[in-house]
Amino acid sequence: MKKVTKFVCVAAALVLSVAMLLTGCVVAPVTPQSPSSPQDSTAGNTPVAPAKEAAELIWYLVGPQQEPETDKILEAANTYLKDKLNVKINLTVLGYGDPYNNKVNTMLAAGDRIDICFTAGWAADIKANSAAGYFRELDSYLAKSSTITDIVGKAFMEGIKINGKTYAVPCRKEQVHNWGFIIKKDLAQKYNVNPADIKTMEDMEPIFETIKKNEPGTYPLLVVEGEAPFKLLDWDVISDDSIPGALYPDNRDTKIINQFLAPESIAMYKKMREYMQNGYIPADAATMQNFNDHLKTGNYFAICQSMKPGKAAEMTATTGVEWLDVNITKPVMANRDASGGALLAIPTSAKYPDQAFAFIEMLYTDKYLNNLFVYGIENEHYVKVSDNVVKLTDNTGYRAGNGWRFGDQFLNYLMDNEDPNKWEQFVAYNGQAFVLDSLGFSFDRTPVDAEHAACKAVTETYYKQLFTGSVDVDSTVKQMEADFKAAGVDKLIAEMQRQYDAWLASK
Amino acid sequence: MIRKSIKRNPNQISWLSNALLNLFFILCSIICVAPIILVILVSVTDEMEILKTGYTFFPKVFSLKAYEYIAASGQAIWRAYGVSLFTTIVGTLLSMLITCMYAYPLARSGFRYKTFFSFIAYFTMIFGGGLIPWYMVYTHIFKIKETVWIMIFPYLLNAWFALIMRTFYKTTIHESIIESAKIDGAGEFRTFFTIVLPLCRAGLATIGLFCTLNYWNDWYLPLIFVNNPKMYNIQYLMYQYLLSIQFLSSSSSFSQSSLAFRDLPSESARMAVAVLSIGPIVFAYPFFQKYFVKGLTIGAVKG
Repeated sequence: MKKVTKFVCVAAALVLSVAMLLTGCVVAPVTPQSPSSPQDSTAGNTPVAPAKEAAELIWYLVGPQQEPETDKILEAANTYLKDKLNVKINLTVLGYGDPYNNKVNTMLAAGDRIDICFTAGWAADIKANSAAGYFRELDSYLAKSSTITDIVGKAFMEGIKINGKTYAVPCRKEQVHNWGFIIKKDLAQKYNVNPADIKTMEDMEPIFETIKKNEPGTYPLLVVEGEAPFKLLDWDVISDDSIPGALYPDNRDTKIINQFLAPESIAMYKKMREYMQNGYIPADAATMQNFNDHLKTGNYFAICQSMKPGKAAEMTATTGVEWLDVNITKPVMANRDASGGALLAIPTSAKYPDQAFAFIEMLYTDKYLNNLFVYGIENEHYVKVSDNVVKLTDNTGYRAGNGWRFGDQFLNYLMDNEDPNKWEQFVAYNGQAFVLDSLGFSFDRTPVDAEHAACKAVTETYYKQLFTGSVDVDSTVKQMEADFKAAGVDKLIAEMQRQYDAWLASK
Repeated sequence: MIRKSIKRNPNQISWLSNALLNLFFILCSIICVAPIILVILVSVTDEMEILKTGYTFFPKVFSLKAYEYIAASGQAIWRAYGVSLFTTIVGTLLSMLITCMYAYPLARSGFRYKTFFSFIAYFTMIFGGGLIPWYMVYTHIFKIKETVWIMIFPYLLNAWFALIMRTFYKTTIHESIIESAKIDGAGEFRTFFTIVLPLCRAGLATIGLFCTLNYWNDWYLPLIFVNNPKMYNIQYLMYQYLLSIQFLSSSSSFSQSSLAFRDLPSESARMAVAVLSIGPIVFAYPFFQKYFVKGLTIGAVKG
């Protein structure tokens, strides 16, 4: 009897400790499914048409939230697609930032099935996930059908390649960038400022002075975190904005330099110091956050921004304060436009990659389908004012918006308060771009991971003070230079140069 | 109260020290309570006023816009409260049961495999399997992704709580009590449930409070496992609101044509979220407090 009790106790204890292993940690090695072998390797050869049952496409997308009436939209889409592709869309929208990144990156790494996956430099990182082999190469599809290449443009398609291969197709939106200011409309009119006359930042100085003198309570210039006139230098960064290593944005040479210590940058820091001392920039600028919130107060005359057609109108809508555009730099097509954009990838875990690609293509060509996902169902979520202009109804069940996530944004209907020529202007804006030689180069940071991280920490220590003119420039730059050296910036830039030279040679 | 007597109570302290002590503790209470009051006040302050003048205890313009914005999601928030309550109650009960049962044999001197099971507990405190294997165990082996159980199972047994509980048994339950139970004919389970557990009420309350907070405050499990908005718990729902607001109000390139996010009450919404997420859980504190204090002092009293 005693033995039996003992046995029961030991058994119970064992069960409990197994429970602990499962809850706390996993000791037994679980062989992860090799990401390079898709779950169903034959699916790649399945022709689109013969499949009897509709192929379910699992689609993950970033966005503000899963709209409550998404099911209705999917039902409409599936009915519409039944005869065309015989697919069934299963869309999940996950929130910006951590929710999307954590879930999708974990799913990709664990080999969970996803058929279509939104990716970019800032969401489910395209570089890391492509390098890890989680995304399918799409070059064979693109070679068969040039629809997307024709719509997006050859130069840009080159730009989003990673090591010469295409892992995702870019949505068509603005493909170039330029920098400038938005200035407050009422004050600009009051002091007869014509935005077209302003060609450089220095042209703004007399206006700043007038505002400072005559408009108590209004600061001439808002500088918040990265939203600073430093951007006007338009460094063509190799890794990202917080990492030293950049080229001049005019194809003058192929030498990579530390942009934070370049003479132009130091001159810019000094200028900001001067502005700060003149009282153009608020004294606590270095600790401010969320520039949109500050703009809403109407207490600021200007802020440096990334520009595009209709920027001022968009900011007017966002902040409730009226703005005018002041373009300073020339439009440039660079790597930041490619990786900072919005792309759709087909993971290697996809069950129906062919159908997924066909569906993605339809988002670029089918106006009905595209707008269904952006605006919802006609006469329910929106009404048509004219052929291409819509007005939202009071039904808030589906307000996805953010049309830049769905293939060709230029297929989107326009809202009644938007410029009717919005998309023509975008096409023209994209067309006038100056293409940088470095477009398409992607830096692999793995050989210098430690230096990369250390240099990022140095930048984050100093950039806010320097960009806002909050500190003495010469002594701070000296200190920053020493810190960069200690962080291994020389090794980092040498590695960038080596990779860049090799890439140029192979081109 | 007692009428003021002329005779002085020998234990009574002078009115000056009394006043000073009271003052001191009143100040302490204010320091603790004031931030919460500020959070509540900011959450009902007009957004524009916050941006212009900063946080204040005396807002001039009241506005419930932050709450309206959150309420606009309708049912979602009640559903999320429901999910949170369910996981907290069921999770706490299950987790306490398992923790107590795991810790009990470790506290008994006669148990032969004590070192082995203690080692397993210690081991998980130091080493983990990493995110992806951990994820795959729940999704590929147990297949409980997208169910409510995914927000309960991973926290069922916390090695740290088990060790606390073991210490509790050791200090509170003397071997002779168990021995006498055995002499009276009680089996192991009967001894455990009717003698040991009732004697450890203070310890149970301590663990219970930890578990409750653990489950209530959790947003990480939904962040990794739950895609269906209907299964979000309250903390994660609030977290997602905050992230969306933050993302849209600090990035210029993505605010375009975002139809739903024009007038985001960002500062006040942040505070409203804090108010909503502390909601019901504050009521759990007084319930546990009685035992909690006892639990903390029990070692000292016994000497």
